[in-house]
Amino acid sequence: MKYSLIADAYEKIEATTKRLEMTDLLVDILKKTPKDIIDKVAYLTQGRIYPEFVALEIGVAEKLAVKALARASGKRESEIEEDLKTIGDLGETVQKFMAKKGQVTFFQQPLTVQRVYEILDKMAKTSGSGAVDLKMALLAGLLADATPKEAKYIVRSVTGNLRLGIADMTVLDALAIAYGGGKETREHIERAYNISSDLGRVAKTVAEKGLEGIKKFEVSIDEPIRPMLAERLSSPEEILEKLGGKCMAEYKYDGERIQAHKKGSGVVLFSRRLENISSQYPDAVELVKEYVKAETAILEAECVAIDSDTGEMRPFQELMHRRRKYGIREAMEEYPVSLYIFDALYVDGKDLTLKTYPIRRRALETTVKESNSVKVAKHIIADNVEELEKFFLEAIGEGCEGLVCKSIAKDSIYQAGARGWLWIKYKRDYKSEMTDTVDLVVVGAFHGRGKRAGTYGALLLAAYNPENDTFETVTKCGTGFTDEDLSRLPKMMHKHIITRKHPRINSTIEADVWFEPAAVIEILGAEITLSPIHTCAIDSIRKGSGLAIRFPRFTGNYRLDKAAEDATTASEIVEIYQKQLKKISEN
Amino acid sequence: MFKLKVSDAKLLRDMTTAISILVDEATFKIDPHSIKLRAMDPSRVAMVDFEWSKTVFEEYICTESTKMCINISELLKLLKRAGKDEVVELSLDEKTGRLQVKITGKYTRNFTMPTLEASEEEVPTPKLTFNVRAKATTGGLSQAIEDAQLVSDHVRIEADAEKIVFNATGDLMGATISLQKGSDTLLDLEAKESSKATFSLSYLSEIIKAAAATSDIATIEFSTDMPIKLDFQQAKEGKLMFYLAPRIETE
Repeated sequence: MKYSLIADAYEKIEATTKRLEMTDLLVDILKKTPKDIIDKVAYLTQGRIYPEFVALEIGVAEKLAVKALARASGKRESEIEEDLKTIGDLGETVQKFMAKKGQVTFFQQPLTVQRVYEILDKMAKTSGSGAVDLKMALLAGLLADATPKEAKYIVRSVTGNLRLGIADMTVLDALAIAYGGGKETREHIERAYNISSDLGRVAKTVAEKGLEGIKKFEVSIDEPIRPMLAERLSSPEEILEKLGGKCMAEYKYDGERIQAHKKGSGVVLFSRRLENISSQYPDAVELVKEYVKAETAILEAECVAIDSDTGEMRPFQELMHRRRKYGIREAMEEYPVSLYIFDALYVDGKDLTLKTYPIRRRALETTVKESNSVKVAKHIIADNVEELEKFFLEAIGEGCEGLVCKSIAKDSIYQAGARGWLWIKYKRDYKSEMTDTVDLVVVGAFHGRGKRAGTYGALLLAAYNPENDTFETVTKCGTGFTDEDLSRLPKMMHKHIITRKHPRINSTIEADVWFEPAAVIEILGAEITLSPIHTCAIDSIRKGSGLAIRFPRFTGNYRLDKAAEDATTASEIVEIYQKQLKKISEN
Repeated sequence: MFKLKVSDAKLLRDMTTAISILVDEATFKIDPHSIKLRAMDPSRVAMVDFEWSKTVFEEYICTESTKMCINISELLKLLKRAGKDEVVELSLDEKTGRLQVKITGKYTRNFTMPTLEASEEEVPTPKLTFNVRAKATTGGLSQAIEDAQLVSDHVRIEADAEKIVFNATGDLMGATISLQKGSDTLLDLEAKESSKATFSLSYLSEIIKAAAATSDIATIEFSTDMPIKLDFQQAKEGKLMFYLAPRIETE
């Protein structure tokens, strides 16, 4: 197949703004394409040569393209750069210079799609020393045989600038018309795409085996399934109504959503955007290897940053430290992660995407061996508003974003690649960020484990309520303590230890050690949230809820100058909460 | 089976270097009489035509004709480890498809490297007729090219019955280098008609520099706006030729 056919189609597609016209043009080119290379043509229309989830890129920078153009056209680089500066579009410059090229080549022959693809493939796979020179020579070789128009699109493709605006869905439409037997067959083709994310494989299957072939299309390990997405509602009443009065409510962990593909001892992790992120999370890869019993599996999980000292969840932002190429080992130690697995899409050769959520959930629970770092997402079956609301506040209290409420009805399949009402997010609408420190009373402590064995793992902290003369718990803090602090704390607090909870302490939490309210320390938190556990200012914002400080950190200041009664009061916490309350914009 | 032995490592290394100027993965044709390579650089601007007869080698065994594709720069890395008078033996293990490189001198080194899928492309010899034919020392040619490179990235070569002139024009500077017929550099010159053609200096300089290590005298042939052929005379029974396509001045 001649590459000029593709270049002509690109040109026409570029000129139209109408989706239907674009589809017709695509149908036309797909019909002209020999079936054995239709996968390649499908990738090429997207300006790539592999499916999106394959990380290989052709990787030609503008500077290198200019060099190749200089060689192929026989013009000086400076001359080309000059033109590029005024035109500002590399493709146009290429077309212009190739039209007046001076360099002759041996045995010039018309470009075929096969050859263009083969050379681009070679360029993408070149690495190591000399790779840049070889890429340049290969590109120059293609340009040498290209017509000016072809050269324009080749250069746009290799530099990642082919922006034709053809959505994957438009290609699926075109495939349905060209090979499926009509537009109405698109749902089958779309499903194949949604469970493979591989436009090329889908195109080849429907072209070679028709609609029947596409109906038999199967999930394949190492090809990411396009993630199912959730709708959003802001009241538990509406959520329950939408889900038929009953649902499975799950913690919505504040982490990175990953899709883990396991085949024997091989594990690949894909991000929500289908990038292979295995190298960022070697620890998560190991966890899947060790704690997923199935030989082959595709599971979905939230990967959450964990405070290595307290074992508590850290905010999503901390995972950003893991988005790096180098120093992964160090980052792994400083920002360890846990996996909270919430769906099973494929287990031991069985595709579960068309099974109901309760069935998938059961498969998940049988195949995952829980440990400290691998857990099945916390959930309840809820059929009333109060239950849902309480679970929601618990989730927030533990550092989650809220809940995902999922249908457990007969039709609760995994809708790959779609946002639908089978899953509904229940997130907080407001949040109250903390900017100032507070002084809190140390009322209890929890024994440390691991590195902190023999000292305290975390302290239970309270605000003062002068009206009742009580101390109301507001947070549990294990962060910000230096090794010196940790060795000093038990000695410092020893004189305050009492055998059971002091009558002036109001707490629903059972501490390992109780103290008389005396020591005051300074704390900075990330925000204040409603809490079903902490008793600070209980009932003042919402019936049955207190206030809690999320992600607290000890500033290093022991307020020895302050008595317990001089600590920040519960009504001051309420004031901070209300003053900082802001609507969360949806992202 | 295929096996060859060269008693002077430098000879093999220089030839490999010359080929590596244009080719990364080289498919050699091997038959009982000789080893050959004809290939274009990836940009299809230049071509190399190489052949060594079995008489070049200390030992040359080839029982049946075959093709062998290897990564030239990898081979070159190994050959660079060999000293001037060391003996190099190449042998192809047909079972594993690996090439064994044995270097013997003060001590013995055995390397193996993979062979690659041989290219199916048959590169034909360009059918060309030339109006100019000149014989020059490779040292002299190298100098002329180096001079021209100071001012530009391409050079116009003009010839008549008396002389060859290298004309380079850059953005700011210019250079004219003349070689007179019968001088120490230009040993011979025949021109059926005055001719001129322009070539990329980066190709010319790399080719001439590398080939000069294998040869003292080159025959160059060209015609107006046609490819140039550079034939580097070999001491033993073999050939090393390059073809370079011209640039056409369009403005």
